[in-house]
Amino acid sequence: MQNRLKLLRVGLALAMFAGLMAALVDFRGSVPPRFGHWLASVQFVPSLVASATGASLSLACIVIAAATLAAGRIYCSVICPLGILQDVIARLASVLRLRSKGVFRYAPPHIWLRRLFLWGTASGVAAGWTGLVVALIDPYSAFGRIASGIFRPLLTLANNTVVGAANAIGVGTLYRVEPARAGAGALAVPALMLTLIVLLSAWRGRLYCNTVCPVGTLLGWLSRWAAFRLEIDRKACSKCAACLRVCKAQCIDLRAGAIDFSRCVACYNCIGACEHGGIRYRFAWRRRQPAQADAPQGSAAPANAPDPARRAFIAGTAAAVAVSFAAAPRLLARDPGNGSGKAEQNAPGQQDRDNHTRAICPPGSGSVDQFLVRCTACQLCISACPTHVLQPATLEYGLAGIMKPRMNYSTSFCNYDCRACGEACPTGAIALLDLAEKRLTQIGEAQFDETKCIVKVKGTDCAACSEHCPTKAVNTVPYGNNLRLPRVNRDLCIGCGACEYACPVLPDKAIKVAGRRRHGRAQKPEEKKMAAPTPAGDFPF
Amino acid sequence: MKSRRDFLRTGLVLGATFSLAGRRGLFATETPAAGNADAPLPSAGAPKPVLVAVRDGSRVAMLDKALASLGGIEAFVSKGQTVLIKPNIGWDAPPERGANTHPEIVGHLTQLCLAAGAKSVSVFDNPCDQWQLTYANSGIEKAARDAGAIVVNGKDKSLYREVAIPGGVSLKNARVHGLVLDSDVFINVPVLKHHSGSLMTAGMKNLMGVVWDRGTYHRNDLHQTIADFLTFRKPSLNILDAYHPMLSNGPRGTSVEDLVEMRMLLASTDIVALDAAAARLLGHQPAEVRHVEIGDRMKLGTMNLDQVEIRRFKLG
Repeated sequence: MQNRLKLLRVGLALAMFAGLMAALVDFRGSVPPRFGHWLASVQFVPSLVASATGASLSLACIVIAAATLAAGRIYCSVICPLGILQDVIARLASVLRLRSKGVFRYAPPHIWLRRLFLWGTASGVAAGWTGLVVALIDPYSAFGRIASGIFRPLLTLANNTVVGAANAIGVGTLYRVEPARAGAGALAVPALMLTLIVLLSAWRGRLYCNTVCPVGTLLGWLSRWAAFRLEIDRKACSKCAACLRVCKAQCIDLRAGAIDFSRCVACYNCIGACEHGGIRYRFAWRRRQPAQADAPQGSAAPANAPDPARRAFIAGTAAAVAVSFAAAPRLLARDPGNGSGKAEQNAPGQQDRDNHTRAICPPGSGSVDQFLVRCTACQLCISACPTHVLQPATLEYGLAGIMKPRMNYSTSFCNYDCRACGEACPTGAIALLDLAEKRLTQIGEAQFDETKCIVKVKGTDCAACSEHCPTKAVNTVPYGNNLRLPRVNRDLCIGCGACEYACPVLPDKAIKVAGRRRHGRAQKPEEKKMAAPTPAGDFPF
Repeated sequence: MKSRRDFLRTGLVLGATFSLAGRRGLFATETPAAGNADAPLPSAGAPKPVLVAVRDGSRVAMLDKALASLGGIEAFVSKGQTVLIKPNIGWDAPPERGANTHPEIVGHLTQLCLAAGAKSVSVFDNPCDQWQLTYANSGIEKAARDAGAIVVNGKDKSLYREVAIPGGVSLKNARVHGLVLDSDVFINVPVLKHHSGSLMTAGMKNLMGVVWDRGTYHRNDLHQTIADFLTFRKPSLNILDAYHPMLSNGPRGTSVEDLVEMRMLLASTDIVALDAAAARLLGHQPAEVRHVEIGDRMKLGTMNLDQVEIRRFKLG
């Protein structure tokens, strides 16, 4: 009965993995942004960030904590895509015999390292570096960056290689896609992460999850008190070690006859591996110190004997969690936005210096400061963005914004009728605005330098900027001898970047969008019914 | 100021004529497709170019009427030929916004070409907005595909090829879509709109969508480059959708309020004459639209509608 748990685990994990992978590597816009959003919303850190910053009320983190307290780290094996990726790699390494004999063996925990990473995270949050720290430590977001930043371009290139051949044999459904580009700086982190993950998981299974990952450490701490824990039935156990050979968490200590449940990722491989049915879920809350009671006489080290290192670990974990929670109100206090992602009403034409930003954040994110606290840099929005105007920042936002999406108008612009990023975002960093609201959300403001404009410099028509402008904030006025010179109406401009992208002036464009640190609200373009210029009913020629 | 410009113009036109006359073969890296040679150049004594203007019918009925007047689609498409239909698919906007050619026209024209025995009908544009969204929301992708056309990605740079444009004054070379270079028949199906940069977009301006880098046009005298392209290749036929032209906020438009319902469709093999008539529809003199005036001056067609045989039809 219990070994069906593994089938269930593998099935659910593969479904989650495939779904998230599809949403993140999607280079043709085939996966609805909402699909990725649902899968990402049940991830622990995005949900915690959404709730803690007040972006939205997300219960997933509480459900995950409760599930962990009930039956251990189910999150780590079924929901976390980085965990599942490691299982895939570890499995491959076993099949390819990259690991010695393709099996695992017991290894003691690295308690001090676990503590260091958890404490580092907690102090980072307490020190106000939430934006950077949370983005770096969240395993889901790390996976997102690997899939979106590394796998997606590779898949695009593969697609483009196949397209030529497919077209040659008359398959018309495939087409070439320009690969999305990101700065090397923004790709360095996911590239390093992928290398680390591949090496660690091929070598020692879930070592990353049980040493580095603060989410693993936190849930591991909860699972020590789980109601149902996997335990070894001493009477049935023949010490054949079949279980620990398949334990990728390396947490089955056969000598002590105990499972370190804080490191167990609830993969259930051991249950199926044991021919004697010697490993089972047992209800652990009714009994006190069951291990000691069952321990064979004269055992050198009873499993649950007081261990100073473990006690310190538990105390440390508890303190780190307490510090993080204590810091949460500070997060909210630091947040200058109004929490809804909606834009503030700005006085027309007013844009003070402190409201300027070099990197422009997407509509729905409210303000750069709010955005950087809420965004975990998972890049789901970057994969969902149909125009690829959203690209991972290097240091344009500063350190807190590394790998977080910014609007890059040198290669594209924001589609007027699109809000895919808001549909995708799992943390509420980019709120899903009504389309009518999004069309009025001012994320920047076009600034026109007519001394560089082709119309003035060369005396020929151009107005590529005005042509692309969706609100006609950039219109033209009669100029010179039957020419049209662009003119910007700042009240109508939403900062979508269409004008900047379209401006053909090289190398320095004549029209550029200056980012707004706090988003504003543009006026609605006036709709004036046009009259026919020529008499109706006949031909004007 | 004016006299200097005139001097330059004269000089450039002379230069263009010279290079057209003498060096065409020298500079051409691509042999112009067969359709180009058939395009009639207006000259003294030649028959007047024909412009068909139909109004007050459905789009399909007006298209049928216009084609019937020009001798049917068979006059342009022969059995086994490859056809390119180039609509305006510039903007991510639905058909009722009039920012793109109406899908009904593209769909119906595709059916007619295939019925006339065309080997294949391809449809593409190099859109300004994101191409998948633009293709889908314009309704053209579905209409064309349902009618049997091959809808081709206009944002695939590898499908464009660098060609020399020896007859061009400002546009000396361009990266042109392979379908324009390789198709036997090239049908231009623009939509009529106000344009905040070029005053008007109709037939001539629509051809900007067959080159990869629009910036080249904008940097090198928009109107001149628009006209220059026609020295390289003229469409076999031009069909203008003026059912509800956009009169303000063009070429993208901000709402349906920008449109005026005229229920009109024009067709001609003379793209300059077509645009001259289109300018009139928007209330302009043809010469006010500079690329039309240049096209006339470079003898790429005529903007003098007195020199055109206009066949007017009122349906319904």
